[in-house]
Amino acid sequence: MVRFLIKRILTAVLTLTAVSIVAFLMFFALPADPVTGMCPKNCNTERLERVREELGLNDPKPEQYLNYMKGIFVGRDLGSAQGGQCDAPCLGYSYVNSEAVSDTFARVLPVTLSIVIPAAIIWLVLGIGLGMVSALRKGTVLDRLSVGFSLTGASLQLYFVGAVLQLVFVYTLHILPTPGYTSIFEDPLKWAGGLVLAWWSLAFLFSAVYTRLSRAQMLETLSEDFVRTARAKGLAKGKVYGRHALRAAITPMVTIAGLDLGSALGGTVITETTFGIRGLGRTAVDAVRLGDLPTIMATVLISAFFIVLANIVVDLLYAAIDPRIRLG
Amino acid sequence: MSLSPVDDAALAEAGPRTPGDAVPEATAKEFVGRSPGQLAWARLRRDRTAIISGVTVVLFLVIALAAPLIERLYGVGPYQQFQDQLDGAGMPLGYAGGVSGEHWFGLEPQLGRDIFIRLVYGIRTSLFIAFAAAIITAGTGIVLGVVAGYLGGWVDAVIGWVIDFTLALPYLIFALAVVPTVALRFYGPRDNPPDWFKMVVIIGIFAAFGWTATARLVRGQVISLREREFVEAARASGAGLLHMAFRQLLPNIWAPILVSFSLALPAYITSEAALSFLGVGMVDPTPDFGAMIFKSIDFMQTDPAYLFFPGVAIFVLVFAFNLFGDALRDALDPKSSR
Amino acid sequence: MRARVVAAAGSAFAVALALGACSKNTGTKTDVDTERKTTGVIATDPKDSLGPAPEVPGAAKGGTFTILRETQISHLDPQRVYSFAGLMAAPLYARYLTTWKDDGKGKLTLVGDLAETPGTNVNKDCKVWEFKIKDGLKFEDGRPITSKEIAYGIARSFNPDLTGGPTYIQEWLADSAQYDTVWDFKANKGSLPPGLTTPDDKTLRFEFKTAHCDLPFAASLPATAPLPPDKDTGVNVDNQPFASGPYKITKVAPGVEVVLERNDQWDAKTDPVRHQYPDKFVWSFGTTPDAQANRMIADNGPDQSAVAFNTVPASLISRVLGDATLKSRSLLSPTPSANRLTINTQRVTDLKVRQALNYAIDRDGLIKALGGEAVASPLTTLLPPATLGFEKYDAYPAGPNGNPDKAKELLGGKEVPLVLAVRDDDLNQRLGTQLKNNLEKAGFKITVKTTPADSYLDDVKNKNNAWDIYLDSWAADWPSGAAVLPVLFDGRGIKPAGNSNTSYVNNDAINAEFDRVLAMDPAAQAPEWAKLDKKIMEEVAPAVPLYVDVSFNLHGSKAGGVFIESIFGNVSFVNAFVKQ
Repeated sequence: MVRFLIKRILTAVLTLTAVSIVAFLMFFALPADPVTGMCPKNCNTERLERVREELGLNDPKPEQYLNYMKGIFVGRDLGSAQGGQCDAPCLGYSYVNSEAVSDTFARVLPVTLSIVIPAAIIWLVLGIGLGMVSALRKGTVLDRLSVGFSLTGASLQLYFVGAVLQLVFVYTLHILPTPGYTSIFEDPLKWAGGLVLAWWSLAFLFSAVYTRLSRAQMLETLSEDFVRTARAKGLAKGKVYGRHALRAAITPMVTIAGLDLGSALGGTVITETTFGIRGLGRTAVDAVRLGDLPTIMATVLISAFFIVLANIVVDLLYAAIDPRIRLG
Repeated sequence: MSLSPVDDAALAEAGPRTPGDAVPEATAKEFVGRSPGQLAWARLRRDRTAIISGVTVVLFLVIALAAPLIERLYGVGPYQQFQDQLDGAGMPLGYAGGVSGEHWFGLEPQLGRDIFIRLVYGIRTSLFIAFAAAIITAGTGIVLGVVAGYLGGWVDAVIGWVIDFTLALPYLIFALAVVPTVALRFYGPRDNPPDWFKMVVIIGIFAAFGWTATARLVRGQVISLREREFVEAARASGAGLLHMAFRQLLPNIWAPILVSFSLALPAYITSEAALSFLGVGMVDPTPDFGAMIFKSIDFMQTDPAYLFFPGVAIFVLVFAFNLFGDALRDALDPKSSR
Repeated sequence: MRARVVAAAGSAFAVALALGACSKNTGTKTDVDTERKTTGVIATDPKDSLGPAPEVPGAAKGGTFTILRETQISHLDPQRVYSFAGLMAAPLYARYLTTWKDDGKGKLTLVGDLAETPGTNVNKDCKVWEFKIKDGLKFEDGRPITSKEIAYGIARSFNPDLTGGPTYIQEWLADSAQYDTVWDFKANKGSLPPGLTTPDDKTLRFEFKTAHCDLPFAASLPATAPLPPDKDTGVNVDNQPFASGPYKITKVAPGVEVVLERNDQWDAKTDPVRHQYPDKFVWSFGTTPDAQANRMIADNGPDQSAVAFNTVPASLISRVLGDATLKSRSLLSPTPSANRLTINTQRVTDLKVRQALNYAIDRDGLIKALGGEAVASPLTTLLPPATLGFEKYDAYPAGPNGNPDKAKELLGGKEVPLVLAVRDDDLNQRLGTQLKNNLEKAGFKITVKTTPADSYLDDVKNKNNAWDIYLDSWAADWPSGAAVLPVLFDGRGIKPAGNSNTSYVNNDAINAEFDRVLAMDPAAQAPEWAKLDKKIMEEVAPAVPLYVDVSFNLHGSKAGGVFIESIFGNVSFVNAFVKQ
């Protein structure tokens, strides 16, 4: 167990290092020059060159990379144009947003988490619930409806669903407030009101896989000997389904859930754009468009970190849920 | 949305690191004299949903292939503009977004191009990208999956790490960074890359990020087969890697691969539309499904007909693919039959 | 059974979408005042520069006024403000040397803001300028504002860390584009740049080596806002500017919101243009233009006292125009942002080809492709109608849809291949398609080269760029021909990169004309620029004038006093109030 964990963590570090190098190289392939973006109208080449020098963009690339990584672990001095000393973990200073990247993230990360975590809970409950219902009521209208519902969700685009829901619930019926983010600590009701459409659209699209999988697993488990035995022994229906069948069905779903959660965190850009909410995704897209290196590096690293973390957690959960699987 | 364009589709088949559940050859024992393929085909033919969705998919394929012919019969090209039929705000005059005998699905607002013929060509672009991406990713995934699963050891470890690494890269951010710049490397400042080049770039992005799920699936299946008697027998008689892969392993795992392939197709159509949403998919003037629906969403309130036709078409196409993939799985894996 | 589910889902979807599609569209009407002319004077009488500004009819005190915008304001530090949003936000918390009295209908008066008058041209040669500072001016902490703090504000704009702002005054004082090497701000803290002096607390004096008659105009940009040296926190001023205007900034959450609250040290009696009606202004960022328009249409709760800073998106225009109840809540006005199809005269050397392009252009179709008359208004001149002294003319009359035959005739039957560069965003690609189809009807062969939006401007400003024609726009910093024509068409300053003269015109006769007009008294220049505009178009044809942007903004039913201001064509807040 401990050996497995150490091995996983070492590979994770290796993965994150590789991701950071790739992200760094990618930046230099971008067409946008971060410096010209800073003076839109009347900058001359010589001045731009001085700004570039000041920002360290003329240093050799490996040195720039090492400087950035050094900042994360021990902090560094960024110079007066970039807000001076930047303590570890220093993600750099965004000359596009005029603020330290860590400040940007302190702001946008809660937004993205607020979108993804409740949505994931809904899509898991909805997906597994529908799947179990249709397995238990196999062949009935209810089965068809839940399968049809989840397939419809899987066949639609988020920006389409989101736009229709907003038009109906926000602008026509005036039932919901305009989508937006309020901190949960400030006003939990407003927090939920502003995000509820995003949660449900995401859940509608993501739940299909779980419905499909939990239905199939449930059917398979129900036909297995131990379930039949349990039923024959006279165990109550609910207990059999709850303890045995669901437990077996849930194992592969944990895997997908982990991956989905990780990927949703890294890729909420479409959700955020559709609902006009500014989180990790939009920040990343704008950073790429404007050639904002520190912000690109930080978004790529943070989303990669979540994915790698999700993978490790899934492995551990896997072992916890299913005793047949041994880690090694 | 998803990190890799098609993760879920293949993962729904078999979770990663779950050695061989749902191995279909078990079914072959039930009836003597009929291959699993024949069995599946028989089951598929009895499934009404499968027939309807299959026919729909074929219909779309025919439309895509016959696009130039349809253009000739219809008499309007995908690039022709009819701005004289637009009002001062650039909106089509007449009923339902300018629907008429001449323009069956009406006109696009602003540029005034014919929606029907652009839809026909859009299906062609989108299906081409989806098929190409699905074939390439399935191929890469199978090769790497077989190699990793069969050879095991450090090869497996390296491939496993590359999969983890690929999954950890945020694919949308990379698409966003790479797509606009690739053309700059291959074409001079006065040449615009042709449509096929842009398609190749998008297919390339999908190929780079989409193979991991198939690779994991195949690897898991291969590991479960590795210790079987027939495989050991073949190995003992000195069969090479190629022989093992093509003669012994693949024939036994094609069913889940086929299902994951069929579910990857609609996933790529949707992903391509998502790229358009971020402005890195196929772009004007090339007719493209994703770009079309993305643009028409803005006009939901002012020209619903513009959203209606491409919206219904892409929904029906993706839905039909999903249904068909589902039916295919049911046919190939009777354990999950309804 | 499952097939039935498909059918049900499909038809529900169909019905939902088809509902809106049943009415016949017979066309929408837009009434943009395209013939509006701008008149402007420089107020020499100090009385014009006195406050308080006249009360706005119907105005009331109190309430929170919200401004919705898609992206955040790039800089709040007055010395770095240059974006439209920044220029509209800055008057709320900062005061400048001079400012414009603007009735929103084209009548402009340049008045003193911190200064008693818009400057004294001491020797009548535009080389020495003096500004007398008003009495009773205070910062937000009650300290008096003197010429020293204004001079310090100008001095700190030499700081190379503080990029983004205008550079006119720095370059004029240093008499060099490399002003930050001529005078190093960081090494000379406590002193002032060459030519800038404060003989006493009430006087600010500029001495230039060459004539700069436009100084009163340039001084109307936020870069002349005052700052006490002890409040200069370098780049962090962006998050906490020190207020001299009617509001002070109490909260900055980058990317989310900026909150401004009343500054009780501001004295209305000293201010000729600003008001202090709402208790609070809130700039709220992150709402897409679509959502902004939808919220304004819905007019719910707090949105009633809000304004959408981004214009109504083209896709929603017919919805807004078709709703009579929205008319009283919309602002519709042409702006001074002039868009042209720039012709690279280094590559397209044949005047006939450039004239043929002018005859060929289908402005009507182009405007439809942009989204109609509420987005753009046709333009046949280089100067936008909002320029002082503007005269309308069309050097190549060809009707609203262009004259392809006349163009073909000029081309002499040859097919001329041209490369048109456009940005890779949705709108510009659409325009690329439009222009290609349009120009190919007139005998051109157009290759549309899409290029990344971020690097497009840098590339176009490169002297040796590889393209023949490209879309370009110019919004002058003040409504004088001097801020347009010499900037865009004086060929003597062409550099390897970073050119505003993107046509790369260098014509001795035209250059000489620039010198002649620039040496004139600012008031006398106006008609001369209009004449020169026509001369350039007829003799050089360095571009095809296309359209001016139209601002079309919506506001809530309780948002009062907003108007499209005349200098930058965006929503102004100096008169804004919340209806009670």
